[in-house]
Amino acid sequence: MQTIYTDVLVIGAGLAGERAAIEAAQAGFSAICLSLVPSRRSHSSAAMGGMQAALGNCAKGDGDCPDVHFSDTVKGSDWGCDQEVARMFADNAPIEMRRLAHWGVPWGRVVPGKGSYFKGGKLYDKEEKEENRGLINSRDFGGTAKWRTCYVSDGTGHSVLYTVDNVCAKLGVEVHDKTEAISLIHDGATCFGAVARCLRTGELRVYLAKASVIATGGFGRIYPGTTNAVICDGGGHITALNTGIVPMGNMEAVQFHPTGIVPTEILVTEGCRGDGGTLLDVNEERFMHVYEPEKQELASRDVVARWMTHHIRQGKGVKSPYGDHLWLDIRHLGEKHITGKLREVYEICTSFLGVDPIHQLIPVRPTHHYSMGGVRTNKDGAAYGLGGLFSVGEAACWDMHGFNRLGGNSLAETVVAGGIVGKKIAEFLQGAEVTFNSAVIDAEVKKQQERIQNVIRCKAGTENVYKVRAAMQDALFKGANIFRTKEGLTECIATLQETLARARKVGLKSNGLGVNPELSAALKIEGQVKMALMLSCGALNRTESRGSHNREDFPARNDRDWLSRTLAYWKSETDDLPTLKYEAATQVFHIPPGDRGYGKSEIIKADAKAESKGE
Amino acid sequence: MARSLKFNIFRYNPQDSESTPHMESFVLEETDSMTLFIALNRIREEQDPSLQFDFCCRAGICGSCGMVINGRPGLACHTKTKDLPADITLLPLPVFQLVGDLSVDTGSWFRELYDTVESWIHTKKVFDPAAPEERMEDEVAESIYELDRCIECGCCIAACGTARMRPDFLGAAGINKVGRFLIDPRDERTEQDYYEIIGTDMGIFGCMGLLACEDVCPKHMPLQNQLGFLRRKMGITALKNFFGK
Amino acid sequence: MSLSSTANHPTLNARRMDGVLDWAQMLSGVGLIAFMWAHMLLVGSVLLSPAIMNDIAEFFEKSGMAQVGGPLIFLLFMAHFVLAARKIPFRLENQKTIWEHAKLLHHADTWLWVVQASTAMVILIMGAIHMWAVLSDLPIVALKCAETLQKNKWWLAFYLLLAPLVHVHLGIGLYRIAVKWGFAGRAERKGLKRFVNVLILVSVGISVLTLFRFWFMEA
Repeated sequence: MQTIYTDVLVIGAGLAGERAAIEAAQAGFSAICLSLVPSRRSHSSAAMGGMQAALGNCAKGDGDCPDVHFSDTVKGSDWGCDQEVARMFADNAPIEMRRLAHWGVPWGRVVPGKGSYFKGGKLYDKEEKEENRGLINSRDFGGTAKWRTCYVSDGTGHSVLYTVDNVCAKLGVEVHDKTEAISLIHDGATCFGAVARCLRTGELRVYLAKASVIATGGFGRIYPGTTNAVICDGGGHITALNTGIVPMGNMEAVQFHPTGIVPTEILVTEGCRGDGGTLLDVNEERFMHVYEPEKQELASRDVVARWMTHHIRQGKGVKSPYGDHLWLDIRHLGEKHITGKLREVYEICTSFLGVDPIHQLIPVRPTHHYSMGGVRTNKDGAAYGLGGLFSVGEAACWDMHGFNRLGGNSLAETVVAGGIVGKKIAEFLQGAEVTFNSAVIDAEVKKQQERIQNVIRCKAGTENVYKVRAAMQDALFKGANIFRTKEGLTECIATLQETLARARKVGLKSNGLGVNPELSAALKIEGQVKMALMLSCGALNRTESRGSHNREDFPARNDRDWLSRTLAYWKSETDDLPTLKYEAATQVFHIPPGDRGYGKSEIIKADAKAESKGE
Repeated sequence: MARSLKFNIFRYNPQDSESTPHMESFVLEETDSMTLFIALNRIREEQDPSLQFDFCCRAGICGSCGMVINGRPGLACHTKTKDLPADITLLPLPVFQLVGDLSVDTGSWFRELYDTVESWIHTKKVFDPAAPEERMEDEVAESIYELDRCIECGCCIAACGTARMRPDFLGAAGINKVGRFLIDPRDERTEQDYYEIIGTDMGIFGCMGLLACEDVCPKHMPLQNQLGFLRRKMGITALKNFFGK
Repeated sequence: MSLSSTANHPTLNARRMDGVLDWAQMLSGVGLIAFMWAHMLLVGSVLLSPAIMNDIAEFFEKSGMAQVGGPLIFLLFMAHFVLAARKIPFRLENQKTIWEHAKLLHHADTWLWVVQASTAMVILIMGAIHMWAVLSDLPIVALKCAETLQKNKWWLAFYLLLAPLVHVHLGIGLYRIAVKWGFAGRAERKGLKRFVNVLILVSVGISVLTLFRFWFMEA
């Protein structure tokens, strides 16, 4: 068996992982990124809209500063975020955008002079200042006080990922693509690296590292319909939760994006609404301005998704063979804008829907999009529970997003957090010495080899992995969707427990030789069901509504009892349920819990009397 | 009425000593809005779980799913079955190393390319976190992005006659990558530096102008214009070097 | 890290000939295209009257341009072949690859290239024969040409094959130069193709008419 040593092992080669690896490499350490796909195919590349950073260069962003960005982020999170982390993020975002510009990102730039823009379907005038000519421009996104989202047409993620990957190539950061980490090597206190499966040959390899980083993005594929890429299957999370020591934070905090297209669930960017697109119902009438007079279509995503679902429930949805949906209207933005700044949207609509968005409406509905939760880390990005293990990006619960993340904040998080955590990793590595225990390594390899052989030989049973996966996805879709209830979640958990039992009996139909895709799926299924259980148990326990977590039976945000973060552990492999613990949402309050200014919700104040509980 | 689709798929698992390259047929009922992404996943889940293919974003953005579809390299995810005849033949992209069935190794190919063309901004400037960004005209940024849009799916390479005959040819994707840095004012490399990289038959002068790259590119990159521009530019440099001595 | 580790000295690299050879290939092609059109028009003048053709031929011979120019064109012809041959697969393995590639791709421009490469081989041989036959038997007189053709029908067949091949090769070559060097961009490509098609048809038409004019010419 091949054993590869490196100072830093990054699992995942998307923006967050590569950005962290760059910091380590610049500090003189060797870094290897593992990736399921060539690094530039990582899901970061699919983020179209942009990155929030308070540069304040454009006319509608005038007067913006990190304080305003911070406050928007905290409000967006519904006070569920760690405010220290959100503060670090907002402060560093502008610097990071400039660094990316230095590295080669072709940011959209300010063009001075008079111009116009759409908001809520109406045309307004603006004038860009001559003194800001050529500085980084911004567009409007939901839940923000200013135009703050830096963009590269509608290929921001693509362009930034390519740039960052170029820097990796320059610095000699190795990317081992088509390689999947299947378990962490640890002795209960320190992480030593990972056992990985080569997706070119199917062979196992050992990666030993002083610091390991989980940067595998989201886990949307545990839902049946999601905007997430096929590779966002939670593989990295599974390696962490299988340690039994590392907790997952806020797994119940799941974002549904207002504009997934129907069918196929591909995302069309928030930039559509940011640039002035509107949402229409079956009568082709706007409705968001009725529910949210102030922010209208550009309230935060949780709020817009909730109202859209509400509106469909009122019978105002458009009937289709794929269920009810609403319309997104960008026709008034004009051909030049749509085929220029929204070109990717244009291509998706024409090639996947056969809809020409210049003249036709786009069918959309809220679709699973983002996981605020993930591997819980401290503000340095160090995972709870294991030394030498870090996590960053969507995979982590760092936690600047709390219960709802703002559009443009996640793509920005990847590079900003990548930079901050990468520096911390480099600091950690300075003078860090690790003693690798070969017994621990051999035991882990043996365990994985046995696991693979058992699945191939159908030792535990012959359950079909794809059917088990479908059962898990279906249970989550029914029970842990935009609106949640006690009954729904209870049933969901019961179904998932049955599914877990089935997942433990999965055996292959095919021979399992080489890069067998059935084997890849089978090795993950048990962990995925465990994640689904963490999510639904967290949601059942949390008897309040906060951000994207909406309990119909507990519609109020309860700051008295639930200003907290869920920590879910899978203590023993044989457990059937996760162990839930809680910690304070934030140690420091720069902004005390208050009203978000959109999303009309009842709030039970932190100092409210106990009698009002459950109101 | 739903058609019955016959998929003829190239099968070979190099890791299985009993496997030999052959074509295998699968039959599926066509459904509404069916794409090759949906079809191939159904074949894997319902008929043969060992079938290898690559998908990632399934939205035409990441470039994972390049394959030869009825003779033409293209992205499988945004290919709708209703645009195809009932007989659909799928082959892996040529030129690249085969991983198995429809899956090829584009990653190693492109990674080598980054090193060959040094696909990063070459500058002596050091980043100053305290300074505002350097200014750039929006038009310049947009023209860089126009060339930065390549998703490295490998379709242009697989469709290229030169690439099929000479393994060291950079292909449209590689040459275009150099063009992207050539127009970027932040990159301090000179024309001579670029000439070192692509002023050979491995680069722009190896291109025979068959334009299959232009015709198959799923992102409609301006490859014809770009290749023409670079041939003239590098051609002039070649003459300067030739007569300048 | 960004420094190349190969031992090539920059000045050695700068002498690389690939670009210059590419120019030479293109320019020799352009030269031959110009020559062939002039040639076609000169010989085609027989359609107007054999006397005009004879006068033109006489002018070139008297001025010595045929005696000197002829061999020069032959050299250009050979040079173009050698230059273009850099890109033509001569090894069986490569020929198989490109043939399979063209069959797989269903792509018109790729087939055009296959046509280009194959016509080149035929033209190389037939063109050489033609030049030797004509230049070794000066002066060029319309009646003599007619006699040659009428005496041996194989010569007619020879030219009926060579003329279309040359014009197809020329047309495709012109198209290829225009798109390869970017003289025609994406927007012009379709129009250019149409223009070249017409050009080939017209040229082949003139050439065939010329041949038949000789065929039916009476002494």
